[in-house]
Amino acid sequence: MNVANDMSLFTLIAGASVPVQLVMAVLIITSLISWWYIFIKLFTIKRAETNAESFENAFWTGGDLNKLYEGISSTRRKPQGMASIFEAGFKEYIRHKQQGRMEVSDVMEGARRAMRAAYNRELDDLDAHLPFLASVGSVSPYVGLFGTVWGIMNAFRGLANSAQATLSQVAPGIAEALVATAIGLFAAIPAVIAYNRFSSGVDRMAVRYESFMEEFTNILQRKS
Amino acid sequence: MIRQHENPVAFKAGMFSLGVHAILIIAMLVSFSWHTPQPISIAEVELWENLPVAPTVVPPKPLPEPVKKVEPKPLPEPEPKPEPEPEVKEEPKADIELEKKRKEAEKRKEEEKKKVAELEKLKKQMLLEEKLEKQEALKEKQRQEALRKLQQDMLADDDAKAPKASTAKSSSAASAGEVDKYKAMIQAKIQRNVNQSLCGDGDPELHYEITLMPTGDVQGSPKLIKSSGLSACDDAVERAILQSQPLPLPADPNLRAEFRNLKLKFHPNE
Repeated sequence: MNVANDMSLFTLIAGASVPVQLVMAVLIITSLISWWYIFIKLFTIKRAETNAESFENAFWTGGDLNKLYEGISSTRRKPQGMASIFEAGFKEYIRHKQQGRMEVSDVMEGARRAMRAAYNRELDDLDAHLPFLASVGSVSPYVGLFGTVWGIMNAFRGLANSAQATLSQVAPGIAEALVATAIGLFAAIPAVIAYNRFSSGVDRMAVRYESFMEEFTNILQRKS
Repeated sequence: MIRQHENPVAFKAGMFSLGVHAILIIAMLVSFSWHTPQPISIAEVELWENLPVAPTVVPPKPLPEPVKKVEPKPLPEPEPKPEPEPEVKEEPKADIELEKKRKEAEKRKEEEKKKVAELEKLKKQMLLEEKLEKQEALKEKQRQEALRKLQQDMLADDDAKAPKASTAKSSSAASAGEVDKYKAMIQAKIQRNVNQSLCGDGDPELHYEITLMPTGDVQGSPKLIKSSGLSACDDAVERAILQSQPLPLPADPNLRAEFRNLKLKFHPNE
């Protein structure tokens, strides 16, 4: 039983049967991608929070809204987060005002719709990749389990062919198969944790955006 | 795959992701010892090394050697006195003794090989040349030999080694005799436990090889070297061997080495 003596991680993976190796490859790729998304979400949500922080600071210091709008729309980059909601709402408000002869309620309604649309786009960006993390978290343990079951089936089938059944004949096969479950769990656990954390982070951002929308609507109504 | 607004962080995130996996793989390689130790064979070796030191208590001390030597000595001492006084009377006695000797020598010739006979002849010549004192000495020797022979006949089967041992020289002869004696004891003890009804009417002969531990227990199971032809008989003898544990062993550890691997011959119907 030379196999039992040399049970390094790589020989275990190399010694596994083809379906198990496929499962392992899929799981490793999934794990890489899910970790990639995890870090992307970590950075983007953090950035959205700091952006919202700085924009709220600028907004509530009580400066001129026109100046703020010009500052935002003059930059070449597309505004993000709260700034894009503000831009969409204020642009719509100005247009309605320039046309004149409009009811105040209609103007407010238009600005509100524009802000709602911008808000939905922002939220969609924030929500990106979360479904992927959710499915990795729930599915990859099963995929790993499938690889393990397949590998153990092979190990026991090999056992049936030998006259004297010893544990050392099955042990390498089972160890190989269990590597699949290990990889599956390694992909799933961070994905589930990240999903829960990010979805709560996105919810908090959504509440923040919505409350900003309500407050901004009030300010526009007072102006008109 | 990724949104436009995520482009600036995508590369950084990818690097982090690869880093996490690299750390995990390194941690697995470092923290696991991927080589399985095999302690079983080592344990066996230790058992063998430790056991021989421990026993010493098991068998009673082998008295026979000293007893034999002590017994004949007191006999000759009183005898020498009558020797010098009646010279005439002594000669016939010597003759008778010579005859006795010859008879025994002949018996031995039948049993033993030529060397023994030559030795005896030499001894006879010595006897003839020298006088009564030496005859007396011979007497002692003969008595010793006769005693030894008697004991061996009682204890041992007609083992090929037994006669050789009697003619061999002092210490090695003594140890060989001791070994044979214990072999005979072992064989006798096993023989008592054999169920003879299983071995038919003839005289089946079978050979077993056993490995003895220093405690007198049989290690593993006896190995059948030559079957008697009756598997029931073979089994009966094997059962007898296992039933006879612990087998008698000499106290002397040097002698015990001879008993580690024993080849035993059995005639269950004798």
